[in-house]
Formats: sequence, structure tokens, C-alpha cells
Amino acid sequence: MTATNATASSSPAVAAAAAPARTRRLLRGNPWRHPWFLEGFTWLYLIWSLVPIAIAVLFSFNNGKSQAAWQGFSWRWYVGDPVNSVLHNPQLHAAVIQTVRLSVLTTVIAVPLGVAFALGINRWRGPVPATFNFVMILSYVVPELIFGVSMFFVFTTLFSTVHLGTTAEVLGLITWNVSWPAIVVQARLVTLGRQYEEAAADLGANQFQVIRRVMLPLLAPAIFASAVLVFSGVIDDFVIVDLLSSSAGNTPMSVIIYSTQHGGNGGPALNALGSIMLAMSLIIVIIGYVGYRLLTRGERGSGLAALTTIAGEGSPAAPVPLPLSRTKPSDS
Amino acid sequence: MRNRSGNKGKNAFWVALAAPGIIWLAILFIVPFYAVLSIAMGKLNQLFEAPVAVWNPASWSSSNVINVWRDLFGSASFAGPILLRTIVYVAVASLLCLLIGYPAAYFVARFAGRRKGLFLVLLIAPFWISYMMRMLAWIDLLSTGGYVNKALGWLGISPVNWLGGSSTTVILGLVYGYIPYLIMVLYAGLDRIEPALIEAGRDLGLGRTRTFVHVTLPLSRQAILTGLLITVLPMLGDYYTNQMLSGAASTSMIGNLIQGQLGTPGLEGQGAVLSLMLLLVLLIPMAYYVIATNREAAR
Amino acid sequence: MAHPREGWQGHGLPRRTFLKAATALGGLAAGGAGALTGCASDLAGAGTIPLPRPEHPVTWPVVAGNGPIKAGLTAERDATLQIYTWEAYINQACVNAFAKKYKCKAEITTFNTMDEAMSKLRSGLSFDLLIGATVDVLGQLIEGQLVQPLNHSYLANIDQAWPDFTNPFYDQHWQYTVPYTIYTTGISWRKDLVHENPYTMKNPWAMPWQAKYKGRVAILDDYREGISLGLMKNGIYNLNTTDYRQIGLARESLQELSGLVNVRIDNTDYTEVPTGDTWIHTAWSGDMAAAASYMPKGVPVDVVGYWFPTDGKGPVANDTNVILKSASNPVLAHMFLNYVLDLPNVLENISFNGYMQPANGVTPQVLVKEQILPPSLLSTIVLPSYFRRGVSELQLPVGADALWQQAWLVVSNGI
Repeated sequence: MTATNATASSSPAVAAAAAPARTRRLLRGNPWRHPWFLEGFTWLYLIWSLVPIAIAVLFSFNNGKSQAAWQGFSWRWYVGDPVNSVLHNPQLHAAVIQTVRLSVLTTVIAVPLGVAFALGINRWRGPVPATFNFVMILSYVVPELIFGVSMFFVFTTLFSTVHLGTTAEVLGLITWNVSWPAIVVQARLVTLGRQYEEAAADLGANQFQVIRRVMLPLLAPAIFASAVLVFSGVIDDFVIVDLLSSSAGNTPMSVIIYSTQHGGNGGPALNALGSIMLAMSLIIVIIGYVGYRLLTRGERGSGLAALTTIAGEGSPAAPVPLPLSRTKPSDS
Repeated sequence: MRNRSGNKGKNAFWVALAAPGIIWLAILFIVPFYAVLSIAMGKLNQLFEAPVAVWNPASWSSSNVINVWRDLFGSASFAGPILLRTIVYVAVASLLCLLIGYPAAYFVARFAGRRKGLFLVLLIAPFWISYMMRMLAWIDLLSTGGYVNKALGWLGISPVNWLGGSSTTVILGLVYGYIPYLIMVLYAGLDRIEPALIEAGRDLGLGRTRTFVHVTLPLSRQAILTGLLITVLPMLGDYYTNQMLSGAASTSMIGNLIQGQLGTPGLEGQGAVLSLMLLLVLLIPMAYYVIATNREAAR
Repeated sequence: MAHPREGWQGHGLPRRTFLKAATALGGLAAGGAGALTGCASDLAGAGTIPLPRPEHPVTWPVVAGNGPIKAGLTAERDATLQIYTWEAYINQACVNAFAKKYKCKAEITTFNTMDEAMSKLRSGLSFDLLIGATVDVLGQLIEGQLVQPLNHSYLANIDQAWPDFTNPFYDQHWQYTVPYTIYTTGISWRKDLVHENPYTMKNPWAMPWQAKYKGRVAILDDYREGISLGLMKNGIYNLNTTDYRQIGLARESLQELSGLVNVRIDNTDYTEVPTGDTWIHTAWSGDMAAAASYMPKGVPVDVVGYWFPTDGKGPVANDTNVILKSASNPVLAHMFLNYVLDLPNVLENISFNGYMQPANGVTPQVLVKEQILPPSLLSTIVLPSYFRRGVSELQLPVGADALWQQAWLVVSNGI
């Protein structure tokens, strides 16, 4: 990034900056040009990030038992193989179902819990909220292993009516993941400041309306990001769930992959599991996004300024008819 | 900043919002946390070599603490190098995460335009295929006959033993594992920066770099802080990366030591103590985060 | 080399792991009476649990409230047999066949470490069978009343196993156990990449200690196997030693190893040696027996070697199968144990997890003929003489166990 900026600041741009800078320059020094370097960098990162995934998905279609040597294309690990495919191996397809169950339940509970917590803590001043804010961060920072061990201990001794199983798994996962929305949304709240709420209150909105019509849309990217984090955190979790599982019926994909792969080689059936996980998640994201767009269709028409949708259609710079003016830098 | 309509009724609203979370944490986090403390300060059931939790602080036993202290600082201590190594790995890995992640997040947040959705999906994809599968794919790529070495061969470089206990591999593995989180958090924060502010900077005659340094960077401070919190602190407790990508004693991190103790009958108490000590150390950056966030909120 | 048994999926996590990854329960569940609230007065030493040794065999008590089931009962109907076992340790096809034959369903739940299994069992999880109980936890299982004694009338196929197992030293009169797998610990190496041949070396256990193989040497991630390696390298063959000096010596040797070759510690011997990522790896016989399935294309399996002392003086161990006290289908459980002792099923399981079983019908000739084992890896076979002469890693008294654990912790997180 700095390289590009450096060239931008070299001779022509320096001269340009020195002069009254209302005119746009189309020379190399144009600060508004598309940042090709940044984009290239981003693509490089994405390739580095995604190539192993592509390989993992690719080998789920491998005809042979190897996860490294390509032996032809086949659906055997998904449906074909009568003993070991995901469809036919009861352990594997019970795992798929359990993963869906856990991730949906946890996300649906943890995200509202965390968002409400963030909103409440942000406004409620005092020693109690400050302490619990701290505890929330602590819950994020605790190493997962010791957290899982303590959960196991608690569910088998103190709260033993909730014995090991799906309920314990969900409770543990929610507790572990609720810090995502709490921290991410709170960070965004801090950056937002109070201007929007106060403006809306000036216009006569009561607190519920402020939350629903102003804060939640403003927080949408943060909520979305934290939902993503929670969802993926659950899908991938193998520490807590392994400790709290009680039978094959409540063992999700992550634990199976961990158990078999940890030793080094479980075969392409596990790649198939992983690919299913990926496909499921993509589908859920798409459904969620489409749902969100449908639900907020009304509000978007009213043109809330900073309603930054994730598709980037409403750009943050869109002008706004309401007094919710976008530039009050001195107020934040 | 005073609340415009500052009466008790309004305050109750915020309390009610925060209450479910508070109660949840109290029951399902604070209580288990106390359980960890009771195990750390507890005794040992010799029959099963299992730890016995001691709930009453008056009967707490310090034997586990003494043992861990001895491991760390005593005459036969061995844990010092591990701590140092962990700190170095995490520092380097976090820096790399930031150097790689910030530009990518910045680009997507500000310049992606209509393709923002596409980029977001691509950025999110790593989350949804198991972390293990990604690591295993890397192990495959990094093995002696794997594609990385093959690619190096095309460039005329002789194959490297990536998986033979190399700290470079572990650090890169940490970066790979944690960077998606950093990018997501940075994106959520950077997305909010008003382009008008940047325009203002340009209008005032700042070039690209100086706009970035004087306008964008300060505005993204909170996002960077949160991103680092989310990345650095868990990284310090990480054990899996080293286990998968190296396995050598010379690259083991403090997380491996804790995990070893927790998995050993009879040593769980010490594992609990070490985890608590790690947490104590982490309290400092955590406190900084909270203070910085509050300061930011009060502005 | 193609495997005739198509359902073979490949190993999962190797089984001999006392000190293992992520799932770290360490017996936290309050098993037994009053282990929770400061009944630290049950700091009874392991002296109350007898420690079986070949020279001090143990007959476990059969307690009044925990007797064997009656003879001649019929199998439970509409039942689901719950099997608790190591990952990828029993052939799913074999279990399916049993379920079909006995008109029941079968569900396999797996665990990663014996420690985890013990914790979960003590916390009250109930299953019918525990497949693969290691000998060193039998004391805890039996004294903790987690298993029930067997009724031998259902287990006629025990005749197919070595006679030693109707009266093993760890369970005289086989009251609670039947044998499952048997294996040795040796050294596996790549004959094409390593010049030395352990069969001709003066101190083969010292083979890993060679600086020229830096980065290419690994040892098993198991505290008993690790420290035992250190002991045997120094000529000590009492693998249950309680002498702190010997343990210290072993630890120092292992630390030296770490400095010399940057030794890696893992249990993936069965993939690393075939692919050539590691050239010398202490290994379990069952892992290496399956090497043929992990060879990269074009590399013959003959390049992989497995060494075990020809005089049999090396670690030998066996796993057992037990029926849990909480079993809801004890009759079916007995029938299942009988079923897996039958030779065709024995062979099927061997070909699945690679580990040999002490059955009379399992000979080197049979294994080679059934293409379960390549001729170059016949050294992975466990002979009855090995079992009778071999040194075993058995349950230690608590104090000594702590010494071993601590030494291993230092080694594995060392310099």
C-alpha cells in the first residue's frame, strides 16, 4: 500500500497537492484512481487463503482412497460407497445433522444475546456493567481447552441434570461464542457514537424505535460479521463439543474430522464432510442475505444514510434527505 | 455525553437489554471459572489420579501452584524458553496478520464497490471449511513431495523440509489460521469510516499516504485494537498449530504445555494453574483494550 | 498394493495414546463416592488397586452387586448395541454384519484417548461394550465398578485365541476381559534413505540418536513409550521402573535426542514413513503393518522396514474388550464379543486397523496369503514367544507415574 502511495506522492502529485486541490488529476498522481496494487494484494491473499480449500474440496471427489494423489473423479464418498460414503455411513450422516442442529441453535441464540448485551452495556454506566463487560472479554480470552474442561466438570457434577449431550453442547457453545457479537458490535457502537440515536430521539422516536429503525440497521455489518463468526465458530469447534458429547448421535462433523484426521488419514470421506460443511454454510449465508434484503426492503427505501448493506449497493456516501447528516466529524 | 431524557425509566431499558447476557455469563461462565479455580487449588484423588475440586477457599491447597512455579522459575525449570518462544511467535504472527490483513480489509471495505459481496464471500469461505481440513491440506502441500516444494523446484530452489520442526512453518500456520478473524473484524470497523472525511483530507491537500496516516489510520484505531484482541489473545493459548505443523519439542508453545498437563492424569490441577497464570498475564492487554474502548466511547 | 478388502478405510487416530491431543479430561468427573467435595481423604495410594505384573498375576474380585448375567438367555429384541471404542478401531462392515445376523442395530461411539474414555465413563455415560480397554486401566475399571464380569458360556470362541488369554496375568481366569489386539513397539525406518540397519546395529534402540538425520526423526507421542525408549537406549529393560535416577537418565537421553535431531513427537508414523517425510520413527507394529496403503504412487512397500528385537525383549502389549456394567444389552454384548473372536472376523478387523490379534489361526502364512501383510513387514507380527518374554508397560504406582509424566512433560515441551 505504501508503495502505491509513495508513487502517488512523488513528483506530479506533490506539485498537485501544493496547488489548490479542487481539480482532479488524471495523471499517475490521481488519488481517486482505482487502487490496483491493493486489489492485486487482496487477490493474492485470497488465493493463498483458498487454495488449500479448493484442494480439499477437489479431493472429496477422488476416485481412490488417497487425499493427495488424484485418482479420477467419482461421487463415491458422497453417495456411492455402500459402507463409507457420507450417505451410507451412519456415523457420518448423523454428524452432518448434528452440525446443522448445533450451528443453527447456537447462532440463533448467541447473536441476539450478544447484541442485546453490547447495546445494554454500552449505555448503562456503572460498576456492574463494567465488570460484566470485562467478564465477557475474559470469556473470549480464556483458552478453549480449559473452558471446555470446566464445562465438562460443571455439567457432570454441579449441573448434572444437564448431563452430557446436545443440550450441554449447545449451552457450552453459546457461552463460548456469545463474546463474538458482544465484542464486535460494541466496537462498532463505539465508532458510531451517539449522534444517530440523539438525532432520532430529537425527531421523537422512542427507544424501541431508535433501536429497530436506527441502531440495528447501522449495526448490520457488525451483526452480520459476528453471526458469521459464531456460525463458523460452531461448525469448526471440536474442543468443547468433543468434551461434552455423549454418543455418536451428538457428535458433529468437526469432531469426526478431528478424531480421524488428527491421526493423519481418514480418507476422502472426510473431505466430503468438509465440502458439505462449506456448501451448507454458503447456502445459509445466501439464504440469510436474501432474507435480510427482503426484510429490510421497506427501510432501505427511506434512505437511512449509513445503512451499509453487505452487497455494497448502498455506499456509505449516499446522500440522505433526513437531518441525519453524514458529516459531523467533530461530534464523534 | 448526557442522555437527553435521563430518567430512571430509560436506564432500565438498557439494563433489561444487558440482563440476559449478564445472567447467562454468571451461570455458565463465572461458575465454571470458579470451578477451574477450585481445581487449581484443589487436591488429588490418588485412586483415580483425578483432581478433586475444593470449593471452600479456606481449604485451598497451594501444591499445584508450587509445582507450576517450580517448573517456571525453580532450579530445574524448563518452561522459561517456552514462554519466550510463545511470545515471539505470537508477536511476529500478529504483525504479519496485520500487515497482510489490513490492506485486504481496507480494499474490500472501501474500494470493492459492486463486487463487495463477492469479496466478502471469498473472505468468509475459510471459516466454513473446517480449520483442520485447511491445515491438513497445507500439510499435504508442504510435505517433502508436495506442491510447494515442487513449485520451488521450478524456480530452481531445492526442497525445504517445512514440516520437520520449523518455527517459520508454525508462525505462518498461526497467521493462516487467525487472519480471517482479523480481516472480518477490520472490515466491520473500516466499513464505517466516512469517505467524506477522507475527501476532506484530500481537499485539504494531503496526498494519499498522508491522508491514510492522518485520517484513516486514527479512525481505524478501534478496529485494529479489536482485531488484535481477537487475534493475539487466543493465539497465545494455541496448541493445535504447533502440533499439526511441527510436533517438535523445540517449537512447542505454552498452549502445548497446558494441554499436556490437562491431558495427564494427576497433572490437571497444574494445567489449571498454568491456564490461570496465562489469563493473569492476558489481563493487562485486556484492561488496555477496555480502557481504550471506553475512552473512545466517551469522546 | 491393492487391498482385497474394499471396505478398508484406513486408520484413524492410533490407539496407544495416554498423553494426547485436545480432549483433555484427565478424569475430572467425580467418579465414585465423594470425589467432589474435598473428600481428599480418599488419598488412598494405588496400593489398594493391585498392580498386575507377569510375575505377580492378579485375580480381580467379583463383588456381590455386580455379578455376571445368567447363562442361556436370549438376545435382546429391537436393541441398539452401543459400542464405545477408539476411532477407526473396529471394522464398520463387521459390526453391520453382526447387527444383521442378530437382528439389532449397532452404534459406535468413539473416543480419542483412554483418559477421555475413563472420564466419560466415570461421569455416568452408559454403553454396552468397551472395545480396546488397555490393560493399565483395568484396575480402575474393575475397582470403580464400571465393568461387569463375563459369563463364559456365551464366549465359546475363546478357544480360537491363544491359551494364554484364558488366564492372563492381568485378569486371572479371564473374569472380565477377552483379548482384542496385540502389538509391539519397535522402530520403523526407510531402508532407501537411511544407511543403517537396526538388525546389525549394536544398540538398535539408539538408532534415532544420529545428528545426520536432523529433521527426519520422530518418536511416538506417549509418555510410556517415550521414556521407555530412553530407558532401553541406556540398556534398562524394566519398563515399569520406579527409580527416579533411571527415569532421569531416560529423560536426559531424550533431551539430548531433541537437541541432536530436533525430534518430532507425533503418532502419525503410518503416513510419515511411507511418504518419506520422516525417515526414522519409533512405531507400533499395527501402524506399520498397514504401510502398504499409504505408499505414494510408484514407491514399493519394501522400502519400509519395521524392527523389533529378535530376542523379543521389547515392549509388547495387548488391548482387551470388556462389557460395561451399565450395559442395557448384556446378552448381545456377550454375543458380540464372541463374534469378534471368530477367525473370519478377526482377519477382517486386522485388515481394517492393521493390528494383529492373538488368535491361533493368525499366522504369518495366513496374513501373507490373505494379502493383509506384505512379506517385507512380517516383523510386525507378534509371536506368542514375544508376548511371553516381552517386557510390558504396565500400571505404575501413583508416585512413580507422576515421575514418568513429569519427565515426559519436560521432554515434549523442552528446549
